[in-house]
Amino acid sequence: MSTTTAVEAATPAASKAPAKRLSVATRLRRDWPLLLMCVPAMALLLVFHYLPALGNIIAFQDYNPYAGDGPWSAFLYSEWIGFGNFQYLFENPAFWDSVRNTLAITAFQLVFYFPIPIALAILLNSILSPRIRSLVQSVVYLPHFFSWVLVVSLFQMMLGGAGLIAQTARSGGFSVPDVMTDPDTFIFLITSEAVWKDAGWGMIVFLAALAAIDTSLYEAAAADGAGRWRRLWHITLPGLRPVIILLLILRLGDALNVGFEQFVLQREAVGRDAAEVLDTYVYYQGIKTQMWGVGAAAGLFKAVVGLLLIIGANKLAHRFGEQGIYSKS
Amino acid sequence: MGASTSRRHFLGLAALGAASLTFGCSKKPGSNETATTAEEASGVVPTFKDSTLVAPDIKGIRPVADGYAKYPTTLADAISEKAITSGKPVSVTTPWWGPAPPADNKLVAAVNADLGGTVNFSVQDGVTYGDKLNTMLGARDVPDLLCIPGWEINKLARFNDAVHVLFEELTPYLAGDKASAYPMLAGLDTKSWADSVWGGKLMAIPFPSDNPFPTMLFYRKDVADERGVAAPTTLDEVYQFGKKMTNEAKGEWAFGDIFLEVQQICGAGGSQNGWIKGADGKVIHRYETPEFARAVEFMARVYKEKLIHPDLASSNGADVKTLFKGGKIFMFSDGGGAWKEVWRPAVASDPKFNIQAVKAFGADAGKPPVRWGGTPSILWTFVKKGLGADRTAELLRVLNYTAAPFGTKEWELQNYGVEGTHFTRDSSGAPVTNDLYNKEFANQFIFTGGRPAVVVGGPDIPTYAADFVGWGNDATQYLEKNPWEGIKVEVPTEQAAIEQPTADKVTDIQRGRRPVSELTKVVQDWRDGGGEKAREYYAKVLADNGR
Repeated sequence: MSTTTAVEAATPAASKAPAKRLSVATRLRRDWPLLLMCVPAMALLLVFHYLPALGNIIAFQDYNPYAGDGPWSAFLYSEWIGFGNFQYLFENPAFWDSVRNTLAITAFQLVFYFPIPIALAILLNSILSPRIRSLVQSVVYLPHFFSWVLVVSLFQMMLGGAGLIAQTARSGGFSVPDVMTDPDTFIFLITSEAVWKDAGWGMIVFLAALAAIDTSLYEAAAADGAGRWRRLWHITLPGLRPVIILLLILRLGDALNVGFEQFVLQREAVGRDAAEVLDTYVYYQGIKTQMWGVGAAAGLFKAVVGLLLIIGANKLAHRFGEQGIYSKS
Repeated sequence: MGASTSRRHFLGLAALGAASLTFGCSKKPGSNETATTAEEASGVVPTFKDSTLVAPDIKGIRPVADGYAKYPTTLADAISEKAITSGKPVSVTTPWWGPAPPADNKLVAAVNADLGGTVNFSVQDGVTYGDKLNTMLGARDVPDLLCIPGWEINKLARFNDAVHVLFEELTPYLAGDKASAYPMLAGLDTKSWADSVWGGKLMAIPFPSDNPFPTMLFYRKDVADERGVAAPTTLDEVYQFGKKMTNEAKGEWAFGDIFLEVQQICGAGGSQNGWIKGADGKVIHRYETPEFARAVEFMARVYKEKLIHPDLASSNGADVKTLFKGGKIFMFSDGGGAWKEVWRPAVASDPKFNIQAVKAFGADAGKPPVRWGGTPSILWTFVKKGLGADRTAELLRVLNYTAAPFGTKEWELQNYGVEGTHFTRDSSGAPVTNDLYNKEFANQFIFTGGRPAVVVGGPDIPTYAADFVGWGNDATQYLEKNPWEGIKVEVPTEQAAIEQPTADKVTDIQRGRRPVSELTKVVQDWRDGGGEKAREYYAKVLADNGR
């Protein structure tokens, strides 16, 4: 979804309102092949996003999957408890701990993770040899395809108490702190893991945006005597700005989503206080205890907060004259 | 489901917005707990008919099973007619703690041929089996036969509802003398059948356990002997063992996680999900005992002095058995099943490798430990509901087949595969398995249904049966008496919900992230957060049963 919006944002002129409205029948006759092409994607969206969204009603139920005659009637026969699940959540300090952790991690990563793909893209863009460029690009985005289990094991083999670095240091008579089990530095650890795994992948969108910048602008600026930094500041960054703002807004909407596996895997190592995020809270307190309603309520809470953040950030972007997710008509 | 009921529920939906907008009047979520006594079970369990064929070499003191050091020279053909007659494939889901076996599987094919049909296995990772069950049961999408370990059932809320909705009642097929149609099933012991009754109905086939102990303390006897370090007999000696066996520079640490064992060594009881009936008749939880506090304190010291392998301290994914087999750690605690599971592959590459369970001991000289007890069966197999009488009978014939005891051809085929393909025989006639066996065998038919429990080693681990039964016979004297024994108690939602946060905090204390002094506060939080309610419930269950 984000790629389509990115393309829309990149071509703002096309979406200006048409001069005259055509009748539905005319437009249908003209556009039917396009509509047909959309059908599979729409069906996918319907089946895997909109239909399951109806299941959110269990957030207001004491959902019992074994009530009624079948899985469907369980929805009808489970007891309605209004906002009982939400009350249970909001009165539970552990829930707020997990929200606080999630927001702290989002804020931290916004500063220390978000700019890295941009910097990486700009650096890579400055390499002229296409062979080296594609090699570096492949190497940095390959880790995206590794699972979290692999990434965490790799970090452990390098940085863990029995890892390469610790053992090498020991044989030299030194001791190094065990960063894998230190709750105080956990936020650095997970951010480094995330950077290692996903920064290369995140770079791709920015590379595409960089390619769209008119090279004649650079030539003109260079002819006028603009140095490397001036060109970066006055051409490259403004060229990237719509994409940066767009991704920033989408990231804000995802503020309560920081991942799951990474935290489940390292939770014991640093303790719940540092590693409990909303998704792990839902897993341990909703799914493992089979309080499905509570889990659904937490999910709904997350979605509503995300939506509000997206709308808010988009409004703000519009106020500053940016396009945001969609251009204002 | 009448129309009026549907409408009422629909109206409930419509009224939701209006009626319960305020938090004040809303009900909180949670299931209604139930407890089922096994007293009513006596009428529904099968009549026991001993199916034992071979006299044991090593007698176990019940509930420890008998051991066999010698493999029988002649095998009985217990079941001559084919179990599967309809030609319809049978779907089975089982857990397995190891690499997934190949789908194209000669061992499974051989047993299938003997069954006269096709059994299709979905072998799932045992570590995350509970998560699979959660969704499988919640979606009401179960296979023909489903294996559920007892420790997972404890964690499945509303299982008492689920069992009657999803699975076929077996009373009409197996109660009393009806079981004579399934002679192998009639050979499973009565206690484990009584444990398979939910709400007065026989609901599952039990898997009788070969020992009642949830954990054992294992150590590398060969390495310890070589270094002149004795197996511990007091808590302080456990610490000394840790000190002597840890050598960071060589990448060696003494321990894996030993917390469950240390609790028992310290004498903290609570076989029934942590609950104990004190001498004064009051129901208390393990968390509230000084023995538990002592165990936590000891673990905090062990972690602080870095006697536990750092990989185990820093990730949920680290594999304790691999570290143990690789000589990176020398002591860990696990279920009895781990003994053979570790020994077999390890001794194949290192003939000197010797894993032994440390003889049960208490924290201080002269103070006995408390060994937790388990249920008479460790797994259950459930039959899908609503398949019809013929199909259910057919599935029970499959389970009758898997219940064939030690000393039958069926037992050998399910446990060792085909002679010449999966194993050869040594001079005494005992099977010696090969690489194909190691690849294909994943307890598929073993976990499909239970059989009379026996302890059997093999030529590669000749002392295993004697070691295992010997350890169990000794430890049985310390077995805790569980006042809830025979009652199926569903874990209350309150306790289930507070369990994880409390366990997390106890882990924090062990790892030194919270001071040991905070334990009293942790326990108080646990009481306030649901522990107190759970106590009332467990006390009421006892009172209701006149205990």
